[in-house]
Amino acid sequence: MDFKLSEKEDALREEIRRFAEAEIPPDFIHNFLDEEGLDEDWAFTMSISKKLARKGWLVMAWPKKYGGQEASYLEQMVLAMEATYWGIPGLGMGISGTAWVGPSLMLYGSEEQRQKYLPSIASGDSDGVWCTGYSEPNAGSDFANIQTRAVREGDEYIVNGQKVWTSCAHRARWCWLALVTDPNAAKKRHGISLLIVDMKSPGITVRPLLNYSGVHIFNEVFFDNVRVPAANLVGQENRGWYQLMQSLAYERHSVGAQIYGAGKRMLESLVEYVAETKENGVSLSQNPVIRHKLAERAIELETLKMLSYEIAWKMSQGVIPIYEASRNKAYGDCLQERMANTGTEILGAYSQIDQNSRFAKLKGAIQHLYLLFPGITIAAGTDEIEKNIIGQFKLGLPKSY
Amino acid sequence: MDFNFSEHQNMLRDEARRFLARECPKTKVKELEKDGKCYDSQVWRDMAEMGWMGLVLPEEHEGLNADFIDLMILMEEMGRNILPGPFFSTVALCALPILEYGTDAQKAEYLAPISRGERIWTLAMTESSGGYGASAIKAGAKLEGGEFVINDEKMFVPYADVADYLLVIARTARSKVPEKGLTFFIVDARKPGTSIETIPTLTGERQCKISFKNVKIPEKDILGKVGQGWDIVEYIMRKATVLKCAEVSGACQAVLDMSNTYAKERMQFGKPIGTFQVIQHKLVDMLIDVEGLQYLVYQAAWLLSTGAPCDLQIAITKARANEVYRSVALGGVKIHGAIGFTMDHDIGLYYRRVLGAESFLGDTDLHLEKVAANIGL
Repeated sequence: MDFKLSEKEDALREEIRRFAEAEIPPDFIHNFLDEEGLDEDWAFTMSISKKLARKGWLVMAWPKKYGGQEASYLEQMVLAMEATYWGIPGLGMGISGTAWVGPSLMLYGSEEQRQKYLPSIASGDSDGVWCTGYSEPNAGSDFANIQTRAVREGDEYIVNGQKVWTSCAHRARWCWLALVTDPNAAKKRHGISLLIVDMKSPGITVRPLLNYSGVHIFNEVFFDNVRVPAANLVGQENRGWYQLMQSLAYERHSVGAQIYGAGKRMLESLVEYVAETKENGVSLSQNPVIRHKLAERAIELETLKMLSYEIAWKMSQGVIPIYEASRNKAYGDCLQERMANTGTEILGAYSQIDQNSRFAKLKGAIQHLYLLFPGITIAAGTDEIEKNIIGQFKLGLPKSY
Repeated sequence: MDFNFSEHQNMLRDEARRFLARECPKTKVKELEKDGKCYDSQVWRDMAEMGWMGLVLPEEHEGLNADFIDLMILMEEMGRNILPGPFFSTVALCALPILEYGTDAQKAEYLAPISRGERIWTLAMTESSGGYGASAIKAGAKLEGGEFVINDEKMFVPYADVADYLLVIARTARSKVPEKGLTFFIVDARKPGTSIETIPTLTGERQCKISFKNVKIPEKDILGKVGQGWDIVEYIMRKATVLKCAEVSGACQAVLDMSNTYAKERMQFGKPIGTFQVIQHKLVDMLIDVEGLQYLVYQAAWLLSTGAPCDLQIAITKARANEVYRSVALGGVKIHGAIGFTMDHDIGLYYRRVLGAESFLGDTDLHLEKVAANIGL
């Protein structure tokens, strides 16, 4: 039993801190998970992606021959925690490419596909920006109900249909697209395949969807007789569902660590804020209600830290973290909700001020989290779906839906 | 990073789990509650024979010289199974501080009989407020002719009625700082002037009130230094709190296991109630809380075993243990429905015990305040 980071992992933490000091301007506001919103944010994010690639951190887990460092799961965890703590953008390049397109291509893509797509992701190039087409108007949590169709014609697939909530589609060079190749399959999930689609193809229309804060993160994407080379099929035809299930756990495993890093920073800034802010001459940090609320957030953060350590350690032992990834996402989501609530309660009237206003406190980070967290609890699997997965795969309960 | 226990620690856990399930089934727990005996002397002797009382004591005191993490494993299993009795008070509250602060003569006299299971000890610290802050300790001891004389009362002393010895903390000097002027004494529980009254509880764990009337204590029975008793309190609060949290964590694991099994067996509307998402999600919330608490306990025990400073992590763990025990035990009762509300069923044994564990060694407010102070507030 041993819960400390190794010297190598500690050295990485220190190096990330120095990187953040050198590369991130003090007035930069890192909006965790909506880097693709504004043009100037996106340009800065991509410039940092290039620098992260040069450091060997952008795809640190990948094999060296594809531009990675073969970093351990614990090193990946350290990077996930520290990058969000220091507000370093750019590790996701729109999330899909570094987090699951690359790892999935390595699991079941062809060698030709790996050679073609991995280098641009690994180098932080704008051609390495991907979006992911899973959700549709009638296929949210019920993903197997997708209706976007691909019909084979000679060496091509003809794609027709609509995707929705497609994050980063307006920035992406490629789409990682799930669709139906066999509408007559006995079970819907036996007819699903994965295609790589060039976003510059004729017949693709990207229509922005603004979230309730007015930020442009996701889109509707329409496919109208889009021609895709058959060589862009990933893995086997009609095996898409099973391929996806394999990579989903990998998609979620570091979410807890990311939330931990961001949350730790937020707690520290709230602690500073209540020490400096006075009410009737007494600093807010002397208020027992505020002390206890912040102490509770510290307890939840420490718990999430241990759950993050555990998943990284288990993966280093060869475990595929099916329920653990869902557990950490569900717990992390809950923590963010409470952090946002505590933070906005402490800010009081100041919590309603626009993030970019000169009157905003703590760079508007608190109200930003308040606006963002409901979206995070939905993305990559709603909390309810995560809990179904845990009930089924960890507690051995009957399938409930 | 290593979440694994050693092979011998896994064996210890298996041995403890099997022994407790066999020798202290729930029927016995309920009998002990009913007939007012607070522990089973045969089980006590068997535990001593296996070396549990002296698990972390050095060989010279007939102990097994094992690691603190080993003791944490035992407590986790005792919590899982439920083991009424004075093990915790003897080992966690008394043997550990005697080993750390006792003179050679005190250690030689008192520790080996603890290892052998021949002597039962308890800590007399809390008073009428039931609180663990220094200012809650008001009982005084006056120096008279080379001896200290105690006159006062202690409340919420676990298992004092079966104890042979008491570790008593009392105020020996007035000070504006409540942590100063406190001294620990070793007191023979049968010493004239000491009267012990049992307090009926609903947790199945024994609590007592002790009254001291002119109880005289010679200098040789002072533990540690006169006036510096608070250091010992802090030492006990560190080690014993983590062990108590391990016990709570084990209990929560048991409640989760029982509830999950029941959800798969109990049929309503023609299917197991575990098919329903309301039940599934309740169980999943319990699981997430239980696993999180478990790792907090392991981290705190590991930090203590390495000697690293960990007051923040201990306070975090106790505050969390209090919250998780309450919600998991209640979740367990609710999932069981009406049967969970009966004496026939075992789940209520855990639900009732929440009240004993929660206030013990500092309630949630006290530990939240410690967390606040440790994160810069």
